[in-house]
Amino acid sequence: MASLINIDHIISSPAADLALQHEVQQFYYREALLLDNIKYEDWFALLDDDIHYYMPIRRNAMQRRGRARTSDLAEYTNQHEFAHFDEDKVAMSGRLKKLLSDFSWSENPASRTRHTVSNVIITQGEEADTLNVCSSFIVYRNRLETQVDLFAGERHDVLRRADNDLGFKIAKRTILMDQSTILSNNISIFF
Amino acid sequence: MNPEDTLNPLWSNEKIKQLVSDENGVLDARIYNDEALYDIELERVFARSWILLGHESHVPNAGDFLNTYIGEDPVILVRQKDASLRVFLNQCRHRGMKLSRDDAGNAKAFVCSYHGWAYDIAGQLVSVPFEKEGHCDRLNKADWNPLQARVASYRGLVFANWDEEAPSLDDYLSDSKPYIDTMFNRTEAGTEAIGGIQKWVIPTNWKFAAEQFCSDMYHAGTTSHLSGIAAGLPDGVGLNDIQIPTNGNQFRAKWGGHGTGYFVDEPGLLAAIMGPKITEYVTASPQAKAASERMGSDMFGQRMLGQHMTIFPTCSFLPGINTIRTWHPRGPNEIEVWAFIVVDADAPDDIKEEFRKQNIRTFSAGGVFEQDDGENWIEVQKLFRGNKARKTKLNVQMGLGDSTTDHPDFPGRIGGVYSEDAARGMYQHWLRMMTEPSWDTLKP
Repeated sequence: MASLINIDHIISSPAADLALQHEVQQFYYREALLLDNIKYEDWFALLDDDIHYYMPIRRNAMQRRGRARTSDLAEYTNQHEFAHFDEDKVAMSGRLKKLLSDFSWSENPASRTRHTVSNVIITQGEEADTLNVCSSFIVYRNRLETQVDLFAGERHDVLRRADNDLGFKIAKRTILMDQSTILSNNISIFF
Repeated sequence: MNPEDTLNPLWSNEKIKQLVSDENGVLDARIYNDEALYDIELERVFARSWILLGHESHVPNAGDFLNTYIGEDPVILVRQKDASLRVFLNQCRHRGMKLSRDDAGNAKAFVCSYHGWAYDIAGQLVSVPFEKEGHCDRLNKADWNPLQARVASYRGLVFANWDEEAPSLDDYLSDSKPYIDTMFNRTEAGTEAIGGIQKWVIPTNWKFAAEQFCSDMYHAGTTSHLSGIAAGLPDGVGLNDIQIPTNGNQFRAKWGGHGTGYFVDEPGLLAAIMGPKITEYVTASPQAKAASERMGSDMFGQRMLGQHMTIFPTCSFLPGINTIRTWHPRGPNEIEVWAFIVVDADAPDDIKEEFRKQNIRTFSAGGVFEQDDGENWIEVQKLFRGNKARKTKLNVQMGLGDSTTDHPDFPGRIGGVYSEDAARGMYQHWLRMMTEPSWDTLKP
């Protein structure tokens, strides 16, 4: 893995067809509603069998090494290193079991979240039926009496055409969190 | 009042001594949230104890450095040209600015970004801009080096201590070493850290986290982690189908507040956390048998499972799971968790990868086990704001009087796996650190 994400390729790519842009954004809005309404099973059904749900750890790196940002390995842990998430379908299904168990104290009572997804840039994926989609998110979380967490970051998805209500499944999601030290007692929600 | 007796007029030694009773197993909740007690802790506990900074493999080459903390003080851990390690305060002696601001890297020197004072990797001031013009040869640079801490390693783990008078790390670890070795001395090759330190903030007192890893198998065997266990069960197997083990022990160090607990011959909890591949590696593989031979005991090499441990005050780890972390205090009401993963340096690549993945899945900020720890700790901490709740006497009596020192398999003071003797030992040592300013009385 020479680089985490080819950000220059995304920046220089032509704007997607308007209808496709609309379709992908509508998918994200509906996905966000599933998460914000704790419809865990319906959200889980959007993960394709080869899902890789990945969030590397982000480090403080002086610019002499970190200037290239997402393509620079000094700022992000690599695939052989520690990460916040590095999950396949089995691991994700375990997370679903936890959430559905009634004893999942970190999400019971459930967090109130608001996933806002924007800055959607679509490029053709490696396979004919896939799209590579870069987006930005801001996730507000409020839980229990007064806890408030605010998470922002970048998502790099591989979406695959699917015969489901929302038209796509998520084959890959790389989440670049805009925090080095995670400013919360846990990451018990999905992005 | 004897000025040597106390650092804060609100808390005389006599008052502090009433907060913890080892004999009766009672704690005063103010130990967790009182600001004035915390100030005393920074001076008497964190500036005098050996604090885990990292692993030797975090800084393999000359000039490699890691920025971390002793208590709330930022320090730089740096590998020297002669392969030794140095730790010094990450603070310029001119106006107090940080000398190094990236998390880790390799440096030839540390140059302050404020006025450009430069220090070599040993922490010696070597260059001051306009020294000749401004100081006219009156500056003796050797007088203006950042404070150096003592550094010592045990089986790859790097600790530092500000206090010149404190016992050596070897003495400090006391009789807890065999219990550390179950994770760090399994092979001649030793351990190595997997890259990346995960950091997150929990609004809780450091002693909750330290005590849980020191003494608390109870929460794992009861309600805290049921959903984490559920996450690792195969399809078709439910929580009602599993039996939480009861056979095991707890160890309380004879000095130092360290403690550990583990199941014996019961791999259930370990398997629920790490899955079959790691469980096999730890209990039955050729490497596991070699670890038993190395330690001269299949008990220590293969049969102590689901182990938790804390080296006082803030170094905690889980042998077999292989997460290790420092709970850096941030005031009485907050900690930063700095966690990393270690593996046997000679483990097969697929085993290293499995340790990495299972730690991310279970013991991390997003881990299906660790998520729920933070939930309990922040709720308790918030509750202590109450006028009555903060004065509540808390029960730490489990296994009171039950530990013995004549166990056939385990050296030291041993009780049952569901005990709080190690917690009492931790709080008793905390009390001594807080009230005994001299090592003459405190030393092992």
